[in-house]
Amino acid sequence: MSRVRRWFGAKLQRKLLRDLYSSRGLFLAVIVVVLLGVTFFEASFLGYRNLKSSYDYSYETLHFADLAVEVVQAPPDAVQALESIPGVRAVYGRVNTEVGLSLPGEEAKRVLARVISLPSGSRPPVNDVKVEKGRYFQEGETDALLAEKSFAEHHQLSPGDTLHLIFDGQELNLCLAGIVTSPEYIWPAKSRQELLVSPETFGVFFVPEQTAALLSGGPEVNEFCFLFEEQADEKAVVARIEEALAPYRVMATVTADEQPSNAALQMDLQEFGEMAEVFPVMFLLVGALATYILLTRIVHNQRPHIGLMRAVGYSRRQVLFHYVSFGLIIGVVGSVLGVVVGYLLSGVVTTLYVGMLGLPYTSTSMGWMEWLAIEEGLFLGILPCFVAGIIPALAASRIAPAEAMRLPPPPSGRKLLLERLFPFLKRLPSLWKLPLRNIFRNRRRSLYTVIGVALGVSLILVSAAFVDSIDYLLDLQFNHIQRYDAQISFAEPQPENMLGEVANWTETTVVEPVLQVPARLEYGGEAYSTLVVGLEPDSRLYGLYSLDGQAVMPSPGEILLSEGLQHTLDIEVGDALAVRSASAVEQLRVSGFVKQPMGTYGYVTLEQARDLVGGQPVLSGLMLDVKPGCLGSIREQAYQIPGTASVELTAESLDKVNELMGLLRVMMWVMVGFGAALSLAIVFTTVTVSVLGRRWEIATMRTLGESRGRIAAMLTIENLSLGLVGLLPGVGLGYGLAMLFFGLIESDMISFDLVVFTDTYLLATGLVVLIMLLSQLPGIRYLNRLNLARVAKEQAA
Amino acid sequence: MTSPASEAAGDSLIRLEAVSRTYRMGLVEVQALRSVSLQLARGEFVVILGPSGSGKTTLLNMVGGIDSPTSGRVIVDGIDIAALDEKGLTQYRRSRVSFVFQFFNLIPTLTARENVEFAAELVTGPRDPVEVLEEVGLRERADHFPSELSGGEQQRVAIARALVKDPPILLCDEPTGELDFETGRHILGLIRRIGEVGNKTVLVVTHNTAVGEIARRVVRLRSGEVVESRENSNPLDPQELRW
Repeated sequence: MSRVRRWFGAKLQRKLLRDLYSSRGLFLAVIVVVLLGVTFFEASFLGYRNLKSSYDYSYETLHFADLAVEVVQAPPDAVQALESIPGVRAVYGRVNTEVGLSLPGEEAKRVLARVISLPSGSRPPVNDVKVEKGRYFQEGETDALLAEKSFAEHHQLSPGDTLHLIFDGQELNLCLAGIVTSPEYIWPAKSRQELLVSPETFGVFFVPEQTAALLSGGPEVNEFCFLFEEQADEKAVVARIEEALAPYRVMATVTADEQPSNAALQMDLQEFGEMAEVFPVMFLLVGALATYILLTRIVHNQRPHIGLMRAVGYSRRQVLFHYVSFGLIIGVVGSVLGVVVGYLLSGVVTTLYVGMLGLPYTSTSMGWMEWLAIEEGLFLGILPCFVAGIIPALAASRIAPAEAMRLPPPPSGRKLLLERLFPFLKRLPSLWKLPLRNIFRNRRRSLYTVIGVALGVSLILVSAAFVDSIDYLLDLQFNHIQRYDAQISFAEPQPENMLGEVANWTETTVVEPVLQVPARLEYGGEAYSTLVVGLEPDSRLYGLYSLDGQAVMPSPGEILLSEGLQHTLDIEVGDALAVRSASAVEQLRVSGFVKQPMGTYGYVTLEQARDLVGGQPVLSGLMLDVKPGCLGSIREQAYQIPGTASVELTAESLDKVNELMGLLRVMMWVMVGFGAALSLAIVFTTVTVSVLGRRWEIATMRTLGESRGRIAAMLTIENLSLGLVGLLPGVGLGYGLAMLFFGLIESDMISFDLVVFTDTYLLATGLVVLIMLLSQLPGIRYLNRLNLARVAKEQAA
Repeated sequence: MTSPASEAAGDSLIRLEAVSRTYRMGLVEVQALRSVSLQLARGEFVVILGPSGSGKTTLLNMVGGIDSPTSGRVIVDGIDIAALDEKGLTQYRRSRVSFVFQFFNLIPTLTARENVEFAAELVTGPRDPVEVLEEVGLRERADHFPSELSGGEQQRVAIARALVKDPPILLCDEPTGELDFETGRHILGLIRRIGEVGNKTVLVVTHNTAVGEIARRVVRLRSGEVVESRENSNPLDPQELRW
């Protein structure tokens, strides 16, 4: 113990601490960078782990289905045969249908209600629900329903409210028994094609089996949900299930991974996980660079001290460890604080997400993975600083004592290659020549400044690119594709004369029909279940654009596919695609692929779509262009139509999407801030070290008569030049990173075009200029306050 | 060259045998010492004189073990220190020599006492730092930082640091170079007294010829060679020096 106490009390350690304190601004800047990097890592990784753990726990507790198979119709006792399939642990047959619903006090308004059956009195073995308010169904109860939480909260529903289901021209009044969360609707998506749906137009409800039978016109079920055994061969089990259900005409087979809500959550989670890996590395790289620059400078300045230490009798190892300790302290302090702040932030992130999603269960246990993450965070913070610090420390320990006592030779001064290549540079005034020569005088330091700026800019750009791309996506979807002001959707296909009826409304200017047919697209052994959308060939209210931006429309016998399907089905233009609906199978030629930010559809002519429903002249919806100020009355009128399931207002949908994107936008702007802080820290370090190292020559310049303003101008020119040089690779790196991330989240559900607006480049440039100017302020202030006589004396010494 | 006194005494503590030293400074090669041979007795007070670039600091560094000869031998107390490995040299510097530098070389972030303790912690059985500071007349200034001390005070702290290890050899490189006349004389007096009282071998390197008058022996270097080595039968008291 006394040895330890002696070690800590030793004057070398005291020197270390006081040296740290005397350059505390610089050390703090580097510590902040390490702190940010470790914080980022811990917050992202632990947040990721918390969310994953919460999702897993929710799914396990509520028996989230491994597989759901939709059929046209099947008897309820088909379950018995399915239960005996090897690999199946549990199965539940249910009704899953869509009807209209009106809310208490808003009987004129209607939403599209997805109604799913549940047993009354007992819980389903698969896809259970968690009661958040009220209660579950009692045995034999038929006049009650349960509402999914996000819908209920949006419409401020409470247990005891009466809701009206509208189907087949009938109305059924049901009492809201409880508000529930379902593992299938944590993200309340209508389908993989419709991830972002407004609760103004769509909601999920659960009714007792007997009530569902009433809605579907019989006891038959149309969906089976399965749980597999632990070690089951999933592919084989799915094949057996599909074979067993073939007589009932399988419409869609959806695994847990494909389930819309789960797929959306996993996509988001994956992005989280990737962020946890990529972004902290940038911070820690900059932290290492800054540590290296700082320690190199310290070793250079302390050459006489190093000589003294060796002369007095300190060993090389003691000198090495002394200077390594600087880097270690930066790493340890930054990491420990980063772990603490990151851990706390992960809790905040988790709480935000849980609140936003309305997760049924939250699980934030600290298992071995979490402890491993903490250790990893410490390691990630300490190691780069230790390694970066070792290089100058080794140099310090290797300086021969006598050499350390001698003046170092003056840095070599020679003309630049640039000056030889461009002779006019030699004639530049010193205001420009000196900064240019200084940039190349210490090439390494200049390079590190450029790297630091580039990394910071890339972080700014990748975050801003997300925001720009989201804005572009929304503009494309809601201004160019969905050109209508409102869309009326019918619960059942309506006769085409509905078009004329609505077109006669005084509030409408243009009305077009649309027919959406659930279908399975089959090609080369691959299949994809989606909606095939039938449009008029000359539609003005729905825009389709080829991948190179040309306006296109479907032709008879042909189908246009959303761009994601090219990869999903491994299909090309000209290939023949089988389109299988409940009523027909059509072979259609793929005529092209269209941009589709949200969802994945096939587009055909209206007539072609009608062929898919047995040739009936029907429509499933109407797209409307509405006179200004008439949206409210359009909605009221639309709800008067008996078959209306919902009325979607484009502006409302856009608002809802913007609301959902709100958290993402905030996170991206926080990242922009992080990027700016990163650049600021590295540039502050390099500029300050550079200024301190040149104070003698600057004092000489001042002594000769150079003004403070001109010296500040030279410094500014040097720094801005480096900053602007760093901007270009930063933009390139940011673009590359953005493409990497976009590639990760690209799926059939959402398709981002990477877009960076000109404003964003201007923002990045402006931020870099601001950062360079801000970071040099302390240095300029220091130079302005130089005691010229003292510095000259120091120089003589 | 040897002094008659040390030859007669047969008690040479330090012996340089044909020591040469060449080093590179940037693009320039410098031959600092050219085959220098010299002997110094135990307890001698020697001043090495020479103009700038004569090799006097290099010679001092050789004896101090902080530089190694390109050729030749440096024997201290029977040991060829030029042949010592790094560990051996470190141990030699800890226990056998102490330096006093022209620019004091104090650690600016340590107080006077701490600067002395900085050296004391390296040896077993050092002298008491406070006692040593008292000896140089700085006990009251023990807790002041170098920036709060005058040049003379800083040099006295450096001397105290050198003494705390109680080494047999004291090496002083232009100890008065940064000091005014009065302070310089005072410092020289302190160094000579310390050498006499502790029977230490003291080597003072300077370009100031007047300083040579206080030494028992003066060695003159020019262009890396010893050009003169003479005894001084009547060394002056440092207070009598004029320059």
